[in-house]
Amino acid sequence: MSIFDNKKDSNETYRIVIFLSPFLILLFLAFLQILNLSYFNADTFKTQSESNRLYQSKIIPQRGFIFDSKNTLLVENNIQQDLEINPSFIENPRIFLKQIADLLELNLNKIESDFYIRATGKSPNEPYILIKNLNEKQIAKLSVNLKKIKGAEIISSFSRNVIHKEVMAPVIGYVGNISREDIFNNPELSQFKSLKIGKTGVEKDFDSILRGNMGYRIQERDSNGKLIRNISLEPPVKGKDLQLSIDLDLQKELFSDFKGRKGALVAIEPKTGLIRALISSPTYNPNLLNTINDYDEVKSLFADKDSPLFNRALSGQYPPASTLKPFVGMAALEAETISWEKQIIDSGVYYVEGDERPYKGWKEGGHGNVDMKKAIVESSDVYFYSLAYDLTISNLSPFLEKFGYGKQSGLSKNEAKGILPSRKWKLGYIGEAWFKGDTINMGIGQGYITATPIQIALAYAALANKGEIVKPRIIEKVGSDSTEKVSKLNISLSDNKNWKRIEEALLGVVEASNGTANNIYDRNIRIAGKTGTAQVKSIGETEYKFLREDESLRDHALFVGYGPVENPKLVVVAIIENGESGSAVAAPFVRKAINFYSKNEK
Amino acid sequence: MKNRPLSFSVNLKIDKSQNNSSQFDYWILFSVIFLCSFGLAMIYSSSNSLEMTIRQGAYFFLGLVGMLLLAFSNFRKMEVFYLHSFWPALFLLIIVLFFPSENSKTSRWIDLGLFTFQPSELMRFILPISAASFLTKNLKTKMKDMWLVIFVTLVCFYLVAVQPDLGTSIIVLLAGLLPVIISGFPWIYIFFGGFLATLSLPLIWMSLYDYQKQRILTLFNPEADIYGAGWNIVQSKIAVGSGGLYGKGFLNGSQSQLNFIPESHSDFIFSVIAEEFGLLGISILFFIYGILIYRLLIVSFYSSNKFAKMVSGTLSIILLAYISINISMVIGLLPVVGMPLPFLSQGGTALVVNLLTIGIILSLRKEV
Repeated sequence: MSIFDNKKDSNETYRIVIFLSPFLILLFLAFLQILNLSYFNADTFKTQSESNRLYQSKIIPQRGFIFDSKNTLLVENNIQQDLEINPSFIENPRIFLKQIADLLELNLNKIESDFYIRATGKSPNEPYILIKNLNEKQIAKLSVNLKKIKGAEIISSFSRNVIHKEVMAPVIGYVGNISREDIFNNPELSQFKSLKIGKTGVEKDFDSILRGNMGYRIQERDSNGKLIRNISLEPPVKGKDLQLSIDLDLQKELFSDFKGRKGALVAIEPKTGLIRALISSPTYNPNLLNTINDYDEVKSLFADKDSPLFNRALSGQYPPASTLKPFVGMAALEAETISWEKQIIDSGVYYVEGDERPYKGWKEGGHGNVDMKKAIVESSDVYFYSLAYDLTISNLSPFLEKFGYGKQSGLSKNEAKGILPSRKWKLGYIGEAWFKGDTINMGIGQGYITATPIQIALAYAALANKGEIVKPRIIEKVGSDSTEKVSKLNISLSDNKNWKRIEEALLGVVEASNGTANNIYDRNIRIAGKTGTAQVKSIGETEYKFLREDESLRDHALFVGYGPVENPKLVVVAIIENGESGSAVAAPFVRKAINFYSKNEK
Repeated sequence: MKNRPLSFSVNLKIDKSQNNSSQFDYWILFSVIFLCSFGLAMIYSSSNSLEMTIRQGAYFFLGLVGMLLLAFSNFRKMEVFYLHSFWPALFLLIIVLFFPSENSKTSRWIDLGLFTFQPSELMRFILPISAASFLTKNLKTKMKDMWLVIFVTLVCFYLVAVQPDLGTSIIVLLAGLLPVIISGFPWIYIFFGGFLATLSLPLIWMSLYDYQKQRILTLFNPEADIYGAGWNIVQSKIAVGSGGLYGKGFLNGSQSQLNFIPESHSDFIFSVIAEEFGLLGISILFFIYGILIYRLLIVSFYSSNKFAKMVSGTLSIILLAYISINISMVIGLLPVVGMPLPFLSQGGTALVVNLLTIGIILSLRKEV
């Protein structure tokens, strides 16, 4: 009944002993092995431990190369010589650092601080690089004197070289050391401490492909750090090469036309979504950042008020201005608040009933009687004020969203979303209710709405494709595998003829004598497009002339177009900050891009 | 029933040792205190972290209090409590799979804010006691009950194995099966079970994680994976061997001080001891472990009570298993599985549980 019974049962004791014995035997064997190690072979292990130390080190893989769409090399790896030190062999760091500084004619304080900063968080026997990119004189001096200095060694490493520096910088980006934040986002990186990873651009977005796999090496060294022999080697695996969709010739041609002005350009193949040119200006030399030794050298780059590191093509958020008008028109046609034929009188100013506030058009005196086509060709503001007012924001925003406004395009991780305002958005972000006046402003692409150049390009690609939204791609091939087109959405209109009629209106912008971009007319290669002039600041007329003196407050010039219209090969959006005139300043870029590309592409 | 006089259960053999055993066993107490204090010193030597050492010291103090409380408690009164404490332990074992501590890749720990806690360690302590209690509820143990305990043990084994924690899962298997075996499970079934286990080895191999397979392969050919698991074993062997007869002295082991030995303060603490105190130090350590295990086994050998035999027998075997497997593993006789060295390795839950184990056996000793 109870657990306590009187019956003596030695059977249980036997069983305990039987199951105890294997572990006793194991312990006995272990003792024999210890005896073998620390008595019979103690001398061997003592030597191994004291004078023949094994060192494990990682070998950094070579990053993948990057080519343009015609297989021109864009990014390569240069070999550089670095000074690597192994702290466990340095007896007196002060003397050691003084020797190095004297030999290489470098600042002792700087070397000392580098020495202590880089040593933190590493185990004492983990070698690391103290001085990068030694010049020839330094290498010559070192190779003579290195035998006398314990714990230092010259090793070679790769540095990233972007061949066409500034031209390709916004696309390629740069590489840098792994930061705490990087490890936080991707804990896997913690094992690659000495590796450089992509920080922006393609280098960042496709880092895992370009990176390759670490190699490992085990070396036996004596107590002075001298290499005795390589015990084993697992070579690193080079990262995969990438072929970009960028056409270097086109990119170079267009980049030179920027002449340092601030702005952005995106050229995309509407059918495939492949980006053929992507420009952000001003730009920077990525090799400075790729080989950076310390932050001071590139401080000015980060502090520059023109933000050369900022990718305007993907993250610049501009008012789409008049380039939004075709979409407002289509939205009104869908909502049946307007027809193609209906005319509105544009006298230069628009009033809402019962409100004294005037909404001015860009052209004093107005455009007279305008229908949809004329309104797009001449870019009538009053027509679209009226359209937007009748349409209301609840109809307008959802329609624009289909074309990708307010959403990341998915091209890059570092992309801005732009702003597609709605009632809810304004209440949440501005803290105010939506006013009718907000809708009216939005009718001409001004006010709260902003879009990135890539978004505008993709919206027009949907026009060129008659409704098909394609995901943008900048990679044509990974290694030898081609990437594939991704179709995201097919927009259908209640009347599919409207695609054609909108295109005719956009053709009119360039080809009609009253079109706002008539200056780029070329009858051989027909372009459909739209000008835009984005107000940097909304101002009254009297202030206007005065403010034009200050260049940074001048309007942004926009043009977006596609062509040849019969078989659109390229959609191009060009934005020149403070360029004022969409037709005179921005449109020629688009014309040049489409002509250049059509001629070179068979 | 509870107050049945002890004299009924006394027989001749017990009588001989009665003089000592009715008293407290100071051999056990002092060897445990020696081992733990030595462990603290070695943790400091291998980690150079005063904080870690103090933390472990706090666990030691906690465990020691728990051990003494258990030692002087009336074990019989607690029987029902032990039988049912299986359920909370099982509950924690399931919980940890769903809410593991976020600081770890494996789901072994429950994060309680101030400290983390390992339910599998608790289970390997509770399981033998509640199993023994369950198996002895009738005068003669029923086969049906044995099968039930085996089934429950396999469930617990599985829950720990998927954490994944191969080392502790093997201990849990022992913890549940040993009471059944000791209580008289037929030999024919035991052999058959062993035969089945051998047959299923290829199956077990296939279900192992890659890193576990790697460790086993490494054992046969350390050079094959000299970067990963092989590196640890090679370095650990160098540490043990280079200690020689007398060792390099406290805080002077170059292998451990230069961080050649991984996890030197937890699973690999034995190699630090060997490096710093040599063969002599190890012999003393073996001697003290020997005294401890011997004194613990006396309780199970001389007890006439089936429950006490099962519990103290199982717990002693498990303690010996930990010691022998850990040492064999750091000198390259067995594959590296996560198994700490009792009383010495850094790790709070393991230390407290080991001390409680001693407490239980001390209290059973009074019942002899």
